[in-house]
Amino acid sequence: MFNYSFRWNQAFASLPQMLEGAWVTIQIALLSMAIGITIAILLTVFRRSGNKLLSGVASTWVEVARNTPALFQIYMVHFGLGGFGIHLSPYLSLLIGIAFNNAGYLAENFRGALKAIPETQTRAARSLGMSQGQAFTNVVMPQMLRISFLPITNQMVWAILMTSLGAVVAMNTDLFGVTKALTDRTFRTFEYFAIAAVIFYVITKVITVSARLLAARLFRY
Amino acid sequence: MKVSIALGGIALAASLATTAQADKLDDIIASGTLRCAVVLDFPPMGSRDASNNPIGFDVDYCSDLAAALGVKPEVVETTFPERIPALMSGSVDVAVASTSDTLERAKTVGFSIPYYAFENAVVASEKSGITDADGMKGKVVGATAGTYEAIWLEEQVKSWGAGEFRPYQNQADVFLALSQGQLDATVSTMEVAQANVKTGNFPGIQIVDKAPMVPDYVALITLREEYGLINFMDLFVNQQVRTGRYAELYKKWVGEGEPASLTIPGVYR
Repeated sequence: MFNYSFRWNQAFASLPQMLEGAWVTIQIALLSMAIGITIAILLTVFRRSGNKLLSGVASTWVEVARNTPALFQIYMVHFGLGGFGIHLSPYLSLLIGIAFNNAGYLAENFRGALKAIPETQTRAARSLGMSQGQAFTNVVMPQMLRISFLPITNQMVWAILMTSLGAVVAMNTDLFGVTKALTDRTFRTFEYFAIAAVIFYVITKVITVSARLLAARLFRY
Repeated sequence: MKVSIALGGIALAASLATTAQADKLDDIIASGTLRCAVVLDFPPMGSRDASNNPIGFDVDYCSDLAAALGVKPEVVETTFPERIPALMSGSVDVAVASTSDTLERAKTVGFSIPYYAFENAVVASEKSGITDADGMKGKVVGATAGTYEAIWLEEQVKSWGAGEFRPYQNQADVFLALSQGQLDATVSTMEVAQANVKTGNFPGIQIVDKAPMVPDYVALITLREEYGLINFMDLFVNQQVRTGRYAELYKKWVGEGEPASLTIPGVYR
């Protein structure tokens, strides 16, 4: 039997604090995506380079990022590196952990997108006098990013939700961290978590809807 | 559509919650079992022995309470943050889980009179050069999220206007971070601090001072409106002290010496 009297006033009074937390969550997600996309493009280039060492690095990264829990990745950035004397703040640990995860998933998205671009385009570009690098950056990469635009927004949503894992590295300024601190203090778990869930929902919904509208505008053929 | 279903669910839960008014004390006696939420990564209050059975001060205290009610005890393991959801969802009847009796929490749950009191210690990493409680000022400090000492320490950091507070999820992470040098100092109960320094799992840490805070009085908790049960628990705690059982449990789990006084001079309750 669920035996609980909901009292919302205390929780609503903390809304400004929670919205500040939401802003930190959005910041971390945006930064981690910017870093993640950059690294994912590098990993994609590494994998196409034909160099054994570089493609090995890229494959290992993708394998670890995709096949271990994000919680573990974030924990290892903080406590794993901490064991070697590299001390990162909770904010940086969380940011790097999510960026690491993003890069792995996005690299796989990019690989799928590349499969959709005919090899003949590269050859045509080369025959026009472009170098291998020019052909990739001017012809292939723009299409790759276009094809993987919606998967990228999925990863953005995932990044927003992953910020809640920051609690394991003592992160207390993001939305989930702020919410947890409030519930520890007041024991009003259900009210605060319900509000946090609504905020998370609104943020991710805004992202997916605006991405879809943006895609419809940008990618008309 | 999805939103309206979710809102409907919350409204339904809220309306169900306000109609249930059975007396928990009668329910427990009728059911023949007392289900206690106990935190089992908090030695010496709660932990597990080599064969994975729950042991500790709080576990014995739950058994005593069950015996007083004439029912069987059942220990349900929870973490500190999960105590309240466990209570609210009805998966436990009471929490015997070293819950600090703050006024803010009393707005949500019902507290008995205190059944134990902790002294808190300042534990610092040797590298930090901290030698007393004042030395923490402006440093990176942390504690286990959701505990009395964490709430106190966070307030301290706010009042310093410098330094940083980090709430880790469990005791082990706090001491790991301290041992690695990610934290300069932590505040934890004297019992936990001594146990962790003694194990040698966390090199480079030492107890440097008592924390300058009011002793952490902890109480049994149940639902706020269960006055019958709260009244029973108050009397039970009183009897535990009266009969010498409190001192006996202290000796068994904490060690030699006098257990902390549970009365405050100059005031009732």
